[in-house]
Amino acid sequence: MIVAAALVTYAAVLAVVAPRLLREAAWSERAPRLAVCLWQALSLSVLAAAVLAGLALAVPSVPFNINLAEMLQACVVSLRDSYATASSASVAGSGLAVVAVLLIRVAFCATAGLLQSARARREHALKLAILARPAPALGAVILAHETAAAYCLPGRNRRIVLTTAALDALGEQELAAVLAHERAHLAGRHHLALAGADTLVRAFPAVPLFTVARREIGRLLELAADDAASRRHPRLSIATALTVLAAGGGEEVGLAAGGPTALGRVHRLLAPANPLGLVRTMAGGTLAVVLLLVPIAIAAGPLLGLGHTLYCPLPAVPPPAS
Amino acid sequence: MHGLGALEAAVMDLLWSASEPRTVRAVVDELQQRRQIAYTTVMTVMDNLHRKGWLRRELVGRAYLYEPVRSQEEHSAELMGEALAHSLDPATTLIHFVERISPGEARLLRTALTRATRGAGTQGFREDASRPGQRHQPSDGPT
Repeated sequence: MIVAAALVTYAAVLAVVAPRLLREAAWSERAPRLAVCLWQALSLSVLAAAVLAGLALAVPSVPFNINLAEMLQACVVSLRDSYATASSASVAGSGLAVVAVLLIRVAFCATAGLLQSARARREHALKLAILARPAPALGAVILAHETAAAYCLPGRNRRIVLTTAALDALGEQELAAVLAHERAHLAGRHHLALAGADTLVRAFPAVPLFTVARREIGRLLELAADDAASRRHPRLSIATALTVLAAGGGEEVGLAAGGPTALGRVHRLLAPANPLGLVRTMAGGTLAVVLLLVPIAIAAGPLLGLGHTLYCPLPAVPPPAS
Repeated sequence: MHGLGALEAAVMDLLWSASEPRTVRAVVDELQQRRQIAYTTVMTVMDNLHRKGWLRRELVGRAYLYEPVRSQEEHSAELMGEALAHSLDPATTLIHFVERISPGEARLLRTALTRATRGAGTQGFREDASRPGQRHQPSDGPT
């Protein structure tokens, strides 16, 4: 019970405090990939704490004992105890229910999201196959359209799509920078990180942490792709391409929310590159690992208990003497 | 997307450039000028395109006459509309280079860029991106 309460408190505090700290952290723009890892670790840590809290209620914590026979005995006793009375059984039962609901919900939302995006991408790829003409020299396909746009279709039918208006509007250097940016998205499998964040938003829409994490991961992955492109191409070319393509031209179709991202990216690209130093990057990586380990550490008792419970010789053991 | 997608594209291109509806036979004859292809393959592809709503057909005599339901431009416009509106989907389908912004924000971006390119001249910024005659270049750049 204490362990479950500790886990719930940990999850609640983390879900409220951490997004504020991380979202306003100036260093995240200097190390976008590290920041993505931290958002992922944070989300996973909160989810894990909630699942483990349920588990802590369902499984009694058995003190570790070097004598296996005694420990098994203790585990049988404590298991019996925790399901002996109606009230303790209902606590344990609701703990199990929490675990089941959380895990099933995440699994369901992940599957539904993956299937939905796979279908949408397949349909999009089929239409592109008919409508767009391949440009092997660019490693992209060209769609005739008066709006200047560039995007990538990730997954099995991965490809980069440019409109004819984008080709006209972009200079040679800028076009190369755009292609490098999109290739970075595809090579980095950024769609999987987005799918993971999407899953949590879909599964728990009422948890603001996951919504913020999704938005931040989307923004940070753009910065990461900008960085990847800037290794081969002048930062000014990327900034110019951003300015050209954000304006789009042509008629307005589907104006996306979150315009400030474009402005932030341009300002970031116009300033000289300023990556985070090795020491601080390592510290951030360590923090991500710690975030993942804390709920497991808090729940160590019940987790060990679960391990024992699996080996608990429950039916065979006679009731404890005395 | 070789194979089926490529053949669908070839058939649609042919019917889009044709001035009148065509039979499967006529399409096969034209395709065969470029490559060896079986009648039944083309028939299957055209039947699929009909089923998916790309082609409409009409029985004239003993053969179907096929024609595109909509122009290539209409299809492209619809596809781009889907692509640009994708951010409304709950599941991420595409990743855009940059989201579309309002004209006001676009002006802000151009101002930032102009200021940077002007300032960059003194700092030795690489300016190989700007070319004369490029219509979206916000400034002439330091030369």
